[in-house]
Amino acid sequence: MTGRESSAPETSAPDADGDSARRVRRMRRFDNPWRNPKLIWGAGLLLGIVALGILGRLFWDADLVFTGAGTPRQAPAGFENLRGQAGSWSHPFGTDVSGKDILALLIVGAPNTLYVGVLASLIGMGVGIFLGFSAGFIGGRLDDAIRVGSDVMITIPPLLILVVAQASFGDIGLTAMAVLIAGFAWQSPTRLIRAQALSMRESGYVLMARLSGASTGHIMFREMLPNLVPYLFGSFIANVTTSIVTAVGLEVLGLGPQRVPTLGRVIYDAINSGALIQNLWWWWGIPTVLLAAMFIGLLLINLGLDEVSNPRLRRL
Amino acid sequence: MKPTGKLLTAAAAALLALPGISSAQNIAREDTVIFDLDRTIRDPDNFNWMTDGTGIRRMHGAHQTMWEPLFILNYGTGDLDPWLATGYEGNADSTEFTISLRDGVTWSDGEDFDADDVVFSVNMALENEELSAREVATLRAQVAAVEKVDDLTVRLTLNAANPRFVVENFGVRIFGSFLIMPEHVWSRVDDPATFAFNPPIGTGPYELASAASNRAIWNRRDTWWGAETGFMDMPEPARVIFLESGGEESRAQLMATNQLDAAQNVSVGTFEAIRIQNPEVTAWHDGYPYAATDPCARQLEINTTVEPWDSANMRRAVNHIIDRGQIVNIAVEGATTPSRTMFVEYGSMTPFIDAVLKAGHGLSAKPDVAAGQALIEAEGWTRNGEYYEKDGETLSVAIHVNSASVEYTRTIDVVVENLQRAGIDARAVPVENSVFWGEVLPFGTYEMSYSWLSCGSVNEPWASMGRYTVADVVPVGERSPGFNNTARWDGHHAEAYSEIVDRMKGMALGDPAVPGMVAEAYGHLAAGMPFIPLVQSAKLLPLNTTYWEGWPSQEDYYNHPFHWWNSGHQIIHNLTRAN
Repeated sequence: MTGRESSAPETSAPDADGDSARRVRRMRRFDNPWRNPKLIWGAGLLLGIVALGILGRLFWDADLVFTGAGTPRQAPAGFENLRGQAGSWSHPFGTDVSGKDILALLIVGAPNTLYVGVLASLIGMGVGIFLGFSAGFIGGRLDDAIRVGSDVMITIPPLLILVVAQASFGDIGLTAMAVLIAGFAWQSPTRLIRAQALSMRESGYVLMARLSGASTGHIMFREMLPNLVPYLFGSFIANVTTSIVTAVGLEVLGLGPQRVPTLGRVIYDAINSGALIQNLWWWWGIPTVLLAAMFIGLLLINLGLDEVSNPRLRRL
Repeated sequence: MKPTGKLLTAAAAALLALPGISSAQNIAREDTVIFDLDRTIRDPDNFNWMTDGTGIRRMHGAHQTMWEPLFILNYGTGDLDPWLATGYEGNADSTEFTISLRDGVTWSDGEDFDADDVVFSVNMALENEELSAREVATLRAQVAAVEKVDDLTVRLTLNAANPRFVVENFGVRIFGSFLIMPEHVWSRVDDPATFAFNPPIGTGPYELASAASNRAIWNRRDTWWGAETGFMDMPEPARVIFLESGGEESRAQLMATNQLDAAQNVSVGTFEAIRIQNPEVTAWHDGYPYAATDPCARQLEINTTVEPWDSANMRRAVNHIIDRGQIVNIAVEGATTPSRTMFVEYGSMTPFIDAVLKAGHGLSAKPDVAAGQALIEAEGWTRNGEYYEKDGETLSVAIHVNSASVEYTRTIDVVVENLQRAGIDARAVPVENSVFWGEVLPFGTYEMSYSWLSCGSVNEPWASMGRYTVADVVPVGERSPGFNNTARWDGHHAEAYSEIVDRMKGMALGDPAVPGMVAEAYGHLAAGMPFIPLVQSAKLLPLNTTYWEGWPSQEDYYNHPFHWWNSGHQIIHNLTRAN
């Protein structure tokens, strides 16, 4: 804990009281910040959900997500529904009122939800990196334009616009939905990266690169970008979380894809069909737990990445 | 009292006041009856029902409490119960009808209701094409002239013979009737199409207290002509509220917690769940399937002007592919039966249904996907992987569905699934209730949609069949008159069909030639398939006996339980306070 107490652990002397083995362990952890438990647990949770999608399809029939796949309103195995009918292992997580298999909905739906978030965030980050560096490094009128543009866009509540957009487009696919959400996912990265680029612009290695005649693109993406990687990662994960929240928000309002299962859509159907009063808890409860796991995974990764990019947070 | 205590008391009081819209003017909950509304009241300040195609400017209480009909068709007896009128007489060839009005009826502002009001209202409908409500369009199409015989008698002359004229226009056969408006108010208006009629007045025992987008409140007046003349006692509820509940879950929760007295349609599972929480809730039948048969059988509407559905073979292919049995089991949870024809399966319709079945035009409960696919392939489509393709285009269809009820969306989910599996890339497009009725259906801006537009026949075949004649075909983008032939079905089958149906129009109800003509016309309808009948409609309406008793039921069949209809007057008058 001494490391945390000191104001600048990375420059302070190693703990003189500890035995050498502990010190070595700490140093190793210090050397490889990527191996911190938060990151590992978070990645594990997310990979688990991805694995559910990939392996689940091998062991479970993904076609059971469609209407009429089983008897409606079956309870999960080991439970009973309101009519006193016991659940069976043919639908271990039960079915909804249209006979859709909940397990199949999770296997197909969870990766879909994650996909929308990751894709929207990737696009948003890509645009953000490009615009942020351009604004911060090149400056001038371009900076003004990008800064004002992102400042204006950040004041617009995304859900409001997206609800209108989705309602007017009607039934859209996952990718189209991700692109729409990405339209509101680039402003924050742009502003953050611009700020970083501004401070880096005057640093010694950038000036050196300039003096040696490197091109703007080279300096931006070959010299400066690698120094921001952990930071960008953290920002990316935060962005994925926001995008998933937005996507699920739209789906729960019934505005996502109609026939492609997503976790938000499952919850929308449940709310819309009176699942609460009918005590069909498995219908809304299990997807909610999975969504919670997804968000906890993302949060842990974010915290872990913070430790990577900010050594002050590491427990040395 | 401590400040926290005060705060808590204030918060509790505020919470109590929230559901109790009735707090104004101190009318107790037990004197208030709360009905459920399945749609938003768009434009709550406008009470001009004649310019509203969606029905919301009437069904939010206006035509159940304030505007009274001339007659109400009793579904139990088949009689036309007189209300503002006392009776009618038609001439021998059913081209002229004389209606006698009740003596002593007054408007809520004290003016007399008489033949002048009827003549004025009918003339207003005849002279103003912009008045677009279905009942106005129907009347305009049928009536040639109206005249006042004396203060309590009017005579209407028709364009063509129609033995069903009175029940069709003034009898609340389905949902509404042509409502008479006060001449002394409307005659001062320059343009009836832009008049908002606010504050509204009527002859009924209630008057408007307030209206907002999610509710309308009606208070009982001190006097009412019916009580004064001995026609009927004052109704017991001192206040009637129509409240938009917002979907199955909240509908069920409101019902379970006694914040709603009569709800809109719910699924069987939800109804059973409500009953577990609130045993005071009943429905039309006491046992499974609980629901009352609705006269509007469900169907898949098709816009016959849009490729590739402009081909009758493609429409017939879809008919083969749809699994009606699955719709019954999955979407309606077994609470109804598959349709065999376009008609509602009431006993009085049996001769016509039997004639159609005998002629071999009946529909099957089971799908014949191979036959459907053969028809599609004969049209030049080839299956490439999941879907059919032709000239590089995928065979796809968007089905518009009203999102107001789980019944609608779930039925279309089943249909979409059936079509997908057969190789058609179908998808559902859920639309808000008033957009669906106000914009999608009447203007033909859809490929297929889920509705019940052949609804009309209850005891004779013409009312339904007459809705698909070529006379009502208008181009896409123009409003279909009275939601008739929104399929825009024409061509030789449609013409042959229309010719037979037009001949049927003037024939008396019991004419023995009619069933044969129905079968013949139906042959053209089955060949052209401008819409696809799906299942019979069952309405499961939870009714709460905690505060009010006297709801209609199979045992107490004074009329059907559809409380959003113009016949809602009967329900409100029949309610008695529960002990």
